[in-house]
Amino acid sequence: MSITRRKFLGWMGAASAAAVAGKTAKAATNKEFPGYPQGLGVLFDVTRCIGCRRCEEACNEVNELPPPEIPFKELSVMDNKRRTDADHFTVVNSYNIPERKIGSVFRKIQCNHCLEPACASACFVKALKKTETGAVVYDASVCVGCRYCMIACPFEIPAYEYDEPLTPRIRKCTMCAPRVADGLLPGCVASCPTEALTFGKRDGLLKIARKRIQKHPDRYIDHIYGEREMGGTSWLYISDVPFSKIGLREDLGTKPAPEFTAGALGAVPMVVGLWPVLLTGIYAINKRKEKIAAGEQADAVAAAVEKANETAANNLAAAMETAEKEKTSAVEKAVKKALEEAAKREEPTEASEKDDTREDA
Amino acid sequence: MANEANTSGKPLLTPFNIVAGIILILGAVVTVIRFTQGLGPVTNLSNYNPWGLWIGFDLLVGVALAAGGFVTSAACYIFGMKKFHCAVRPAILTGFLGYALVVLALNYDVGRPWRLPYPFIVSRGTTSMLFEVGACVALYLTVLFLEFSPAALEWLGLKTLRNLIHKLTLVLTIFGVVLSTLHQSSLGALFLIAPSKLHPLWYSAYLPIYFFISAIIAGLSMVIFEGAIVHHYFDDRMDKTHIAEKDSVALGFGKAASWVLAGYFIIKVIGIAVDNNWHYLATGYGIWYLVELLGFVALPCFLYAIGTREKNLTLMKWAAGWTVLGIVLNRLNVSLIAFNWHLPADERYIPSWMEVSITLFVITIGILVFRFIVTRMPILYKHPDYIESH
Amino acid sequence: MQKNTCTRQFVLLAVIAGMAFFAAETRASTVVADSNVAERSDVINIDAMTIFGPIERPTVEFLHDKHTQAAKKMGKDCLTCHPRDEDSGQLSIRYMRFGDMDKKTVMDTYHAGCITCHNEQLSAGETSGPVVCAGCHGKTKKTISNRQTVVMDNSLHLRHIRKTKGGCRICHHVYDIEAKKLVYKRREESACRYCHPDLPEDDRMTIREASHTACIGCHRRLTVQNKSSGPMECIACHDAEHQANIEKLPRVPRLRAGQPDFVFIKTEGEGDTEVKAARMNPVPFDHKAHETYNDTCHVCHHATLTGCGECHSTPGKREGSGISLEQAMHRNCIGCHEQRQLESACAGCHGFMSQSRQMPQTYCSTCHMAPPVGEVRTDADRMPVASAAEMLAARTPTLATYDMADVPEKVTIESLSETYAPVDMPHGKIVSALVNGIENNKLTAYFHTERGTLCRGCHHNSPATKTPPRCVSCHDKPFQEKTLFRPGLMAAYHQQCMGCHDQMGIEKPASRDCIGCHKEKRNHQ
Repeated sequence: MSITRRKFLGWMGAASAAAVAGKTAKAATNKEFPGYPQGLGVLFDVTRCIGCRRCEEACNEVNELPPPEIPFKELSVMDNKRRTDADHFTVVNSYNIPERKIGSVFRKIQCNHCLEPACASACFVKALKKTETGAVVYDASVCVGCRYCMIACPFEIPAYEYDEPLTPRIRKCTMCAPRVADGLLPGCVASCPTEALTFGKRDGLLKIARKRIQKHPDRYIDHIYGEREMGGTSWLYISDVPFSKIGLREDLGTKPAPEFTAGALGAVPMVVGLWPVLLTGIYAINKRKEKIAAGEQADAVAAAVEKANETAANNLAAAMETAEKEKTSAVEKAVKKALEEAAKREEPTEASEKDDTREDA
Repeated sequence: MANEANTSGKPLLTPFNIVAGIILILGAVVTVIRFTQGLGPVTNLSNYNPWGLWIGFDLLVGVALAAGGFVTSAACYIFGMKKFHCAVRPAILTGFLGYALVVLALNYDVGRPWRLPYPFIVSRGTTSMLFEVGACVALYLTVLFLEFSPAALEWLGLKTLRNLIHKLTLVLTIFGVVLSTLHQSSLGALFLIAPSKLHPLWYSAYLPIYFFISAIIAGLSMVIFEGAIVHHYFDDRMDKTHIAEKDSVALGFGKAASWVLAGYFIIKVIGIAVDNNWHYLATGYGIWYLVELLGFVALPCFLYAIGTREKNLTLMKWAAGWTVLGIVLNRLNVSLIAFNWHLPADERYIPSWMEVSITLFVITIGILVFRFIVTRMPILYKHPDYIESH
Repeated sequence: MQKNTCTRQFVLLAVIAGMAFFAAETRASTVVADSNVAERSDVINIDAMTIFGPIERPTVEFLHDKHTQAAKKMGKDCLTCHPRDEDSGQLSIRYMRFGDMDKKTVMDTYHAGCITCHNEQLSAGETSGPVVCAGCHGKTKKTISNRQTVVMDNSLHLRHIRKTKGGCRICHHVYDIEAKKLVYKRREESACRYCHPDLPEDDRMTIREASHTACIGCHRRLTVQNKSSGPMECIACHDAEHQANIEKLPRVPRLRAGQPDFVFIKTEGEGDTEVKAARMNPVPFDHKAHETYNDTCHVCHHATLTGCGECHSTPGKREGSGISLEQAMHRNCIGCHEQRQLESACAGCHGFMSQSRQMPQTYCSTCHMAPPVGEVRTDADRMPVASAAEMLAARTPTLATYDMADVPEKVTIESLSETYAPVDMPHGKIVSALVNGIENNKLTAYFHTERGTLCRGCHHNSPATKTPPRCVSCHDKPFQEKTLFRPGLMAAYHQQCMGCHDQMGIEKPASRDCIGCHKEKRNHQ
């Protein structure tokens, strides 16, 4: 069962044209990204799934995964809660719904190929990418193995090769991107006997889903899971039982994952731009404060010194004056004395001694 | 004043050395298993729990506790609090070692450690919070190395180079603050992308701010806490100025920590109010949250305040230790305990003993290197040749 | 000193290690849905306080039968909890009070009554109920109510008539506005629900209050007099299993309340003034036959026993909540008939049909029958002169099918054969199974009047013919953009076969049992 090659080439062509036209998915932006117009996807109809595990088997073959421990024919394993792991890109679990006419329902899980994937926006080496054809693909050649994509994925899909010592990879569904590029259907879709999986352009899938709900409003829950969840996914689900009862979380919201970190990332340039200015400013203010303080201190010291000097000078002048006076009077006295005692010719140096002592003071 | 002669002649087989030796041997064995068998046999990590103790403790706690470097250098060089100068070098050293060990631990955790530079040289995933973390850690490690290098250069006696780097102090400090702001907060922002996995009480759009503010608290507390320990074990390495100034450092940082803790408490409460998460407080996780908020934020805030008021150094040290524990608790809560809270008990994560042993291994290496450097380089005292030069 | 230092370093290391362990160990367990929640039919949610505004504590989960049994053990009876009104002699269905006076009184009544009794029991060394707040006001409920409403169907009604020897007045009454009391009026008996609403309204008793007062009251009186009586435990009436065991009378004669055997359902309501010639023909209706299809009258006569047109007019009236006559009748009749399509004999085909599809217009006249040829109608009400009974008698429904000889016995599906050998589909067997399922169904016969109608269950979207086109004519490769809604051939087969088996409850072959239909390929070429 396959799609005509020509049609696929047509889809691919349109997709690449769209890419060339410049519609690239930017992870962290506040612009709304409605998904690639030619993006492909798969619609899973819970009411049609009979739980035969053919998709699991096909996935295993197509991706050349190791043969399973329990053969795919064994259906009892579906009663356990299983998740995707490094060797299982898709898993169908059985859910017991007592209210339903036919006891169990089955739900297939695999990568939902978000329109704006959390994993891709979380990857710091761009190992995970959303392609124009709708698939979220992984490039092991740059992967560091940090596992942040696993933290980020709201659907808990990416798995890790924990037992690989040196070359561990992230493993997940590729929506069979290589097969699709060759004009083939994804392995699981091709193997599904009941078309519980419908493959096609996401827009068309939404139309199909709406039509089925409209045709059987009593049967289906009036909601297409994945139409808006986490900003929309390429893989869509419709169901006759509440999604939360078949392991699809209904509390994820409609915000694309990159928007959660957009604010924090947006603040980076602001911090880089403003912090140095601010910090240098604070430094400068402190420096200036110190400088002013130092200046004032210097001034104060200078003033004090000057004052001291001035006083000293004044004292000196006064002393000089007094000394002069005394000198004069002394001279006069001396002259007088000399004159008086000219006859005696005694005590010639007393005045100069007195001068010296006064200058010292 | 210390010199080499003091260290020689000590017995090699002290209890500490024996325990450290055992841990190192154990760590070495686990290291071999890790790099030959992969993460699977060594860790309890799973596809549901891709990050465990090595990220939760080694990375998140390690980086938070290494915040002392930027806090102290900023206080001293940018805010002009010269009286804290003696705390700068020990804090820078702790910061440098902390970051170096974070990078060491990352080598164990990531799948292909030799590709750690890939985000910068091969394929730049700039939309990732982890890119910011990686870039900042790498740059800041370099900055810390340069900030620390004068001590090493003084020890080695390379005067010209030392003086050259010393001239860059201010630029490096500013760089350090910018980078620390970015990646302390971006470590919190790592979890912004997973609102569906982290418990609403811990998840908040303010996570980056919480991480940054609590990192400042961690930095302040670590300086006090570590100061107390260092003083206890290495007081023979301290000069008079350090011994004289360390009390004023403890009191000053404690006072600051008290204020920042108060602010942190307020913004945490605002966070709950903004998201209207009050009703969660009555649940089991709510009680656990209150333990963290009241027991490890409000309580140390009070203890610091009382310590500051009464100039009670012992209380300051205990408050610092308690706060550091609180930061550890907070980081583990966000990354491990409240993360994946929606999963049933058997799908939750408990670290394996081998993971714990690697964490201890890394911590032990840190302590040993710290001891090595402190007993040799002018960290706790001023090199006699450079007394006047700052 | 040195040794001491090292010991402390060791302690420090140990503390850090301990911290790491502790933090990892303190994982609060996630809330696991409690699978031990018991399902019971006697759960009463005591929410009496809600009428006084916001409640302070969670409502109380009360297990009535458990208490009845406990009281019995203690030698107590209903009167312990339910006081008797001396005027009417009836017990109040409320706990130790006749009405909800005010918040405090009601609260105190419960607290005093319940806790006292529990305490007495405890002090007597017996097991008893809680005596602390959270014991009763728990947030998590320990039981789920699986209480089923009980229907007084014709059989049960007849049993009561026989038991009371025609004492209609014991239960039926009307309110005499003049005398301001309840009186019995012969020939005016009708369903309790017509007067007793689900939710409190004016000063009328709710249906719950009225039925418990009347039924349990009467049962109790008889029990006290040691006469045989109906049950008093919750479980006896409200548990699905017990309900199934309620004795059914084999033949229940028709209840007479003056209703017609045949009637014309008018296409105009009371008071419709504009009578246009374009009105649909009235529908002759076999009232008597429909009485046997339903348990009670109020399945159709949901508010009164009068004709539908009294409340539902063409544009809709206030009495009929604005629901027009057309809506009321189509919803009621077609809605009920469509429910029959879900029966396993029908669901195989009808399950695939769109629920939002337009009815083929030819089906209108199946109900809105044209009057017999030559019939003249009066303009006033367009009623045919012929009676509804005559018109219905003239119409004999027949299920039309092709002769089984013309139906292929086996169809081999081989165009897709790849992994498995071609499928031999037992076509004839399938057709006979479908025919047998509906052969005696009168309703089906009215609508499967063309010979090919039944074939179209599988051979859909093509004219009814003996030689319908092959599936592959339309269903080819899947996921074609031009035929977006059309499944591919393999899926078409699987959906059709499995879907029908699912709907009809055919368990074998199971959908996942591939070799139930497909034979293993013998040799791979």
